[in-house]
Amino acid sequence: MNDTSNLIKTANLLLDISSLLMVSGANTNRANLSIDRFASVLNCKAYSLISHKTIIMTLTDEETNESCTRVQNIPPYVIDFSIISAISKASWNAITENWSIDQIIAEIERIKQLKRYPRLLILVAVSLAGAGFCNIFNGDYLNMMMAFISTFLGLFVFQQTNKLKYNLYIRLFLGSFIASVTASFGILYNIGTNPQTALATSILFLVPGVALINSFHDLLENNVLNGMVRFTTGLMTVLAMAIGLFLAMYLFQLN
Amino acid sequence: MLDIILKLIEVSFWSGIAALGFGLLFNIPKNAIITVFALGFGAGFIKFLLMHFNVHVVLGSFLAAFFVGIISIPLAHKIHQPPVVFSIPPVIPMIPGYFAYETVLSIMNFLFMEGDASKRVHLIDAIFTNGFTMFFVLIALTVGVALPLLLLKKNSVKKIDI
Repeated sequence: MNDTSNLIKTANLLLDISSLLMVSGANTNRANLSIDRFASVLNCKAYSLISHKTIIMTLTDEETNESCTRVQNIPPYVIDFSIISAISKASWNAITENWSIDQIIAEIERIKQLKRYPRLLILVAVSLAGAGFCNIFNGDYLNMMMAFISTFLGLFVFQQTNKLKYNLYIRLFLGSFIASVTASFGILYNIGTNPQTALATSILFLVPGVALINSFHDLLENNVLNGMVRFTTGLMTVLAMAIGLFLAMYLFQLN
Repeated sequence: MLDIILKLIEVSFWSGIAALGFGLLFNIPKNAIITVFALGFGAGFIKFLLMHFNVHVVLGSFLAAFFVGIISIPLAHKIHQPPVVFSIPPVIPMIPGYFAYETVLSIMNFLFMEGDASKRVHLIDAIFTNGFTMFFVLIALTVGVALPLLLLKKNSVKKIDI
């Protein structure tokens, strides 16, 4: 294999790693750091422009001074902290054990195959989280049950529409609408002492926490463009949620 | 007194559960599960303890998030995970969902329902109070979590000596 194709192989690997990190919910700084670590193992220097949808990278071989520039699109974001953690570990192991490029490629392929938790477990855990929210905001155990059921149904719809490949904001709207309609029945039939709490907390499972936290992380580290993009995404998410809640409350005439 | 402590522990417990639920949604590694629950519990405990002593919700959220940010540094060393894995899920239960709800509710009443002028003034007050509380709590949470690493001026926890 000649030098150029080797360089292209390295560039593709680094692009793969950084896009995997961005998709999994790492902030821009972390993606840059990981690229630098892997590049130093492979005796290269990487310069990259990371935006929300695309990564452009120029890779320079430190010995021959050859360089190549590649562009890669980032697929839709699916937050997965296991991948971030595994890539972080791989980068440290690669430095201390001086991995070859094929070793790194094999490890990244393994990381891509990592399984998520079973769907039912996630549904129950997030619904319990919804019930927990309800407790935090002074709901009693009947309200918490309503929050549990609403979150469960909302998240179920949210996941199901993902399988049908709906637009993200339509999915957010539907998830929040279904959850708040379910919780509104609690107010209609006056279940528990504080049925409003169940309604307020039933849609919190959609809260764009990672997007907003990463947005401020990026802004604080001067990745202003990515920070603004993430903030806007978070804002759009909140808007979609609010419209779902709005509509449910309008239908049930709650005010 | 015992009632208050029990109530505090109950609320903190559910904060931990909420943190854990979001952790599973974000697919945290298996060996971080207990840590995320404990951090969620701790953050909830600090926040509600402070709020019990009439500390403003913005400051309370900030200190709780700051606690999560600081604790996650030695923990990152100990169980070999990057700190984001357990610094983000415990903060999510403190997201000001209720204020967001109240804001939306007041906006809706203001726009579609209320005709009486003096009640509309109250609604404007509610929109601004709840809306800005929500905004500042959000900033407090994100800055609180990010601050420890920024203060130490290190871009990787591995470089921090403990």
